Amino acid sequence: MDMFTTTDTHLTFLRTQIASTESQLRTLKAQLAQAELSAQTARQLHEAYQGGFPAEWIEETLGALDDSSERDIARKLRQDGGFEGAPTPAPAAVAVPVLDAGGAKARAGRWPLADEEYKRYGRQMIMPEIGLHGQLRLKNAKVLVVGLGGLGCPAAAYLAGAGVGTLGLMDGDTVEVSNLHRQIAHKVRTVGGMKVDSAVEFLQAYVKLQTFASSSPSDLVCSLNPNVKYAPYRSHLSPDKAVAIFERYDLVLDCTDHPTSRYLISDACVLAGKPLVSASALKTEGQLLVLNNPPRAPGDASSGPCYRCIFPKPPPADAIQSCGEGGILGPVVGVMGVLQALEAIRLLTAKPPAPPPMTDWMDLSMDSTPPVTPEVKPTMLMFSAYNTPQFRSVRLRSRRTDCAACSYQATVTQHSLTTGSTDYIAFCGSTTPLDPLPPESRISARDFARLPTDGSNILIDVRDETQYSICALRGSTNIPWNGNAEAWVQDAVKRGVMSGYEDGRERFVVCRLGNDSQLVVRAVREWLGSAVRVREIEGGFRAWREGVDRSWPKY
Amino acid sequence: MSTPKAPPGTFTLLYFAAATSYTRRQHDHLDAPLPVAALYDVLEKRYPGIRAKVLSSSALTVNLDYVDVDEEGARGEAGMVIKEGDEVAVIPPVSSG
Repeated sequence: MDMFTTTDTHLTFLRTQIASTESQLRTLKAQLAQAELSAQTARQLHEAYQGGFPAEWIEETLGALDDSSERDIARKLRQDGGFEGAPTPAPAAVAVPVLDAGGAKARAGRWPLADEEYKRYGRQMIMPEIGLHGQLRLKNAKVLVVGLGGLGCPAAAYLAGAGVGTLGLMDGDTVEVSNLHRQIAHKVRTVGGMKVDSAVEFLQAYVKLQTFASSSPSDLVCSLNPNVKYAPYRSHLSPDKAVAIFERYDLVLDCTDHPTSRYLISDACVLAGKPLVSASALKTEGQLLVLNNPPRAPGDASSGPCYRCIFPKPPPADAIQSCGEGGILGPVVGVMGVLQALEAIRLLTAKPPAPPPMTDWMDLSMDSTPPVTPEVKPTMLMFSAYNTPQFRSVRLRSRRTDCAACSYQATVTQHSLTTGSTDYIAFCGSTTPLDPLPPESRISARDFARLPTDGSNILIDVRDETQYSICALRGSTNIPWNGNAEAWVQDAVKRGVMSGYEDGRERFVVCRLGNDSQLVVRAVREWLGSAVRVREIEGGFRAWREGVDRSWPKY
Repeated sequence: MSTPKAPPGTFTLLYFAAATSYTRRQHDHLDAPLPVAALYDVLEKRYPGIRAKVLSSSALTVNLDYVDVDEEGARGEAGMVIKEGDEVAVIPPVSSG
C-alpha cells in the first residue's frame, strides 16, 4: 500500500466522519429546538391551564379575573403570585358598589371562576355554545340596557342571570301600577320610585343602608345576581351624552318606546361603534333587529345596516301609539325582551373564527391565509302572537349608500348630536295639538252629570267595542270612532242616533280622554251641518272620574 | 289565524302592526303580476290615506326579502315585479315597548 493511498483513505475517513458528525449535530440541534419548544409549550400550558382553558385565552381570562374596571394584567399576575392583595372594588361615581354575597369572588390562582359561579352558571357552561370561554366573555362584557319597561326588565333579568359582568341600566321614568302586568322587575312596593332603582333592587340586592361599606351581610337581601356590577342612569338618554356613554359598553340594547329614542340610539351606536340589539312591541306584535353588526366605520359596506337603513322615514307623529293607547299583552313584550337577551348572549359569546389547523411545527414560518370572517346576514324577526306562523324572519338589506348615519355621506355626526343640530323631535315630528272646539260645542263632565236623564238627550260613546264593554254609562250608544269622518257619520245615521235630529234633542259625545270626541263633533258638523245640536264632554271619562264618579274604572 | 293560499292570478299581501290597524285586515289577495313600484298606488286607491299614514314609513318584503320601493321605482322597467303566488308584507316600524 503506497503512502498516497493511505493518506487518501484517511482523508476520506475524516470527511465521512465530519459529515456524519455534522449530520448528527444537525439532528441534535433540531431535537434540541423541538425539545425547547415542547418545554415552552408545556410551561405555558402549565401556567395557563387553570382548570381547563387553553393558552390562547389567557389574556382575556386574566382580564375577566380582574375585578377593577381597568384590566391590568401585570397587576393581576402579581396578585396571583401573592405579591399583592386582591383588589377592592372602588365605588365609582356611576357604578353601584359590587356586593360580595357569599364568596362569589374569584379565587386567585387555580380556577378562573369562584366556586359559586361554577354552580350558578354550570347549566349554561356545559353547553358547547357557551363553555368556560363563553362564560368568561360574558363576565368581561359590559352591556347597556336603555329603557327598563316591558322589554328592558326581562332583557336585564336574563343578562344578569347569565353573568354579564357590567350591566348599565338607563331610564328616567318612575314605576306605575299599570306597568306591573309586564315589567317584571318592578313591584307594588316600588311604585312611584325610579324604574332604575326598582330594577337594581330586583337584580342585585336591597341595601338597607346607603353607607354600604359599613353594612354587614345581614343588611342585604340578595336578589337575582349580586355578582354583576350595575351602573344606574336615572335619566332619559340625551343626544349630547349618548355617544360618550355608549363608548363605555360593548353592546347596547334598545328597550325604549318611541321613534325619537330609536333613531338616537341607532345613531349613537354607529358613532360609538357598538352593535345594537333593538326590539319593540305593541298590542300582540313585536319586532327584533340586530343592527350595526359587526360595528364598522360609516361607509364600510361590510357592516350590517342601522335603524335608518331599514326605516329611513319615521312614522307620522299622530299615527304613533304608545302601549297606554294601543295596549300591550305582557308575554308579547316579554318574549321580545327575552329574545334581546338571547341575541346579546349570542353576540358576546360568538367564537372568533378558528385559526387554520397547524399540522407541523415546522409550518410556523409559512405564510398562512388570514381566517375569513363569516358574512353576517342581517335579519328582522317578527312576532305576531295571534297569527300563524307566529314568527317570521325577514332578510334585511345591507347598509344604504345614502344613509344619514352610516354611509360615507353621513350627516349625523358626534358634533351634530352634541350641538343639537340633529334634532330628533323635529325629525320625528310632533303632534299638532287639536284646536279646541268653541265653548258652545263643549260641556264639562260635571255639567253633563246635572242634565236630566229622561231621554231628552242622546249620549254617544265613541270608544272601541272592547273599551265600551269594560265600562259604559247606561243608555249610551256605542259608535266607535275609527278616524274616518264619513264612515263614522254613515254609521251613526244607520244606528239611528243622528236620524230625526230636528226633534230638538241634543247629542253628547264622549270618549276616553276627550280627543276623539272633538273629532266626532267636527265630523258631524262637516257632514250634517250645524242644524244638529251636538256637544262633546270635555276630557272624556278621565274628567268624568275626576269630577263626577270616583268609582269609575281608570284603565 | 293563518293566511289562505293566494287564488290563481294573485299574490298575498300581509299587513302588520299599523298596517293591520289602518286596513282592518290581516291580508289581501291582489292581482299579479304587479311591479313593486305600482303597489303603493294600488293600496292608496283601496285604502285612501294609507300612503302618508303607513306606507311611507314602512318596510316592504317580497318572499321574506327586504325590498326598497324607491330603488325599484328608480329602475323603471327593470324594477322588480311581484309574481303570482308571491308573499308580500307591509311592515311598519313598531316603536313602542
